[in-house]
Amino acid sequence: MVGFSSILGQIIIYTTIYSLVALGIVIAGRTGVFNVGGEGIMLTAASTGFMTAYFSGSWLSGYFVAALTGMALGLMLVLVHEYLRVNQFVIGIVMVIFGAGLSDLLYKIIVGVRLQAPRAPRVPLIRIPGVSTVPVLRALFNHDPIVYFMYAATAIAWWFFYRTKIGLETRAIGELPQAADVVGVHVRRRRIIATAVGSSLIGIAGAYLPIFVTGTYNPDLSAGRGFMAIGIAIFAGWRPQRAILGGFLFAAVEVLSFQLQLSVPGVPFQFFLMLPFASVLLIMVVFRRFIDFPASIGKPYHRE
Amino acid sequence: MKGRSTVARAALVYLASIAAAFAVTMILVAALGFSPWRALRTLVTTSFRTSFGFEETLKKTVPLIFTTYAFTIPFMIKFFNIGAWGQMLFGGTITAVVALTAGETGLPGVILIPLLLTTGMVAGGAIAVVSGVLKTRYGINPIISTIMSNYLAIQFLNFVATAGPFRDPTEGHPMTRRLIAAATIRSWGIVPQAVVPALIASVVVYLMIRHTRLGYEITAIGYNERSARVYGINFNRTLLLTFLIGGALAGLGGTIEVISTQRRLIEGFATTSGAQFGMFGIVNALIVNANPIAIPISAFLMSVLLVGADALQRTMQVPVEAVLLSQALAVLFVVVTRERLRSR
Repeated sequence: MVGFSSILGQIIIYTTIYSLVALGIVIAGRTGVFNVGGEGIMLTAASTGFMTAYFSGSWLSGYFVAALTGMALGLMLVLVHEYLRVNQFVIGIVMVIFGAGLSDLLYKIIVGVRLQAPRAPRVPLIRIPGVSTVPVLRALFNHDPIVYFMYAATAIAWWFFYRTKIGLETRAIGELPQAADVVGVHVRRRRIIATAVGSSLIGIAGAYLPIFVTGTYNPDLSAGRGFMAIGIAIFAGWRPQRAILGGFLFAAVEVLSFQLQLSVPGVPFQFFLMLPFASVLLIMVVFRRFIDFPASIGKPYHRE
Repeated sequence: MKGRSTVARAALVYLASIAAAFAVTMILVAALGFSPWRALRTLVTTSFRTSFGFEETLKKTVPLIFTTYAFTIPFMIKFFNIGAWGQMLFGGTITAVVALTAGETGLPGVILIPLLLTTGMVAGGAIAVVSGVLKTRYGINPIISTIMSNYLAIQFLNFVATAGPFRDPTEGHPMTRRLIAAATIRSWGIVPQAVVPALIASVVVYLMIRHTRLGYEITAIGYNERSARVYGINFNRTLLLTFLIGGALAGLGGTIEVISTQRRLIEGFATTSGAQFGMFGIVNALIVNANPIAIPISAFLMSVLLVGADALQRTMQVPVEAVLLSQALAVLFVVVTRERLRSR
């Protein structure tokens, strides 16, 4: 049996993926843009980010390019929605198909098939003196930089939405864009910025998989996590502080079902692979009282 | 008069989309350093050059028609069924189980085939209705629940193909035993018998939408949900029915894929051609804008492209993703154009 700390550490790594994507969806959702294209953004950013890291030898530039990729796709989504008035869900789904095609296409063209799968450069772990040796805290604070980035991004998002005036205005856009507009908030600009920022977080989460978690690029490596993160965002009631909790919950299900698969040999492994997806539905049914949506979500805003 | 201009407009958007899809593909292919004219010829003519190619194209068209309807019918009341993929896989999986079990009883094909077609519809409809109930009872967005059901169905299919009493022990790759002849359908020359249920389903869906009370209610909710409710239309009931019908059709597509094309259940079908049907069903539905007459035609043209894309990969090593990508862009282009035309 694997030690508790090591399982907890593993859960934190998966929490990072789920939370960053969910946070990206939450940030855009607060302004009324429901980004369901997260899976496609993750895949594309995983491809571009991994290749950048591999060819440059720098993991940091890999994440940087992944963030830019995410931002570009997010801008595409929000601009088409706001200016061409196309349904957000339609563009989101198109984005998933687009991302699935683009990610593998780019990888096939640029890297191609090799005997040995290219490996991402080694990412250093950051240890915090004093904390990184304490048993349980060690699992939380003995990680690669992106884990700390996820902690920071969640904290900043919370502070922004609940402790700043711009954050309050931004939340107002999601509830009643007309009212925000009347008091002089530039609705479209905020929506564009929020979606771009959120999508760059999704991009970083996408690249986290090949650069750190697996170390190599595989087709369809996000494996539906971009969709599950939509469930987390809804479950979290579009609050950043709850998105990290939801991310932790889903990560725990994923890691534990993997552990169970190893330790319970009688049950076919496919049923353990079903667990994370089934638990999304279960969690949403159980916690449905907490679920509320920003009122304007899904609707383009026009001054009329 | 107005009716004719709408049809002309729809056709125009559609033709423009095909042109755009080809243009984008050709630019991509040229950018990758391949000859765009040769690629174009491969894409368009592979389906018509050999009788095998034509039969393949029709065999792809049929499940695609069903997955397109599975997305289209709930979409008419503005709900997204992203689960045609899983509904199709689940229908196909249960069909394989029933076919392998019932096949041993020696039932004749006349009984077995209708039984299997019904099985697929019931299985696909059942899993889709779960998503519908999650919406009406618990308010869970069907986008989430249908996507989750896709992943559940994939693992369930892999389980049935890999484990248990159905697996063929002589095959290296996990798959079930071959279905007995009475449980399969064949082709008349180059036309697979599978086109019959697809055509019947298309006519039935058309009649349902245009000439039944349910179709009227679906149309009314699609135009204006609030006033439809005010006029006493039972929204939840209609929602459940759209998911039931959509899922049943996707399940039927899965049955046909199993009894006509594969004649067994193969592990990994979910992520290869199964994924194509799931994804391109949505693409097709968005392109034709839920027009029930255009769906079979468009599904056929899309299958021509898919068969051509496979050939392109085999003969010219052009990655098949290039076609996927250009299809996604084509949808975006069509949707934007349609939106511009409407707002004018």
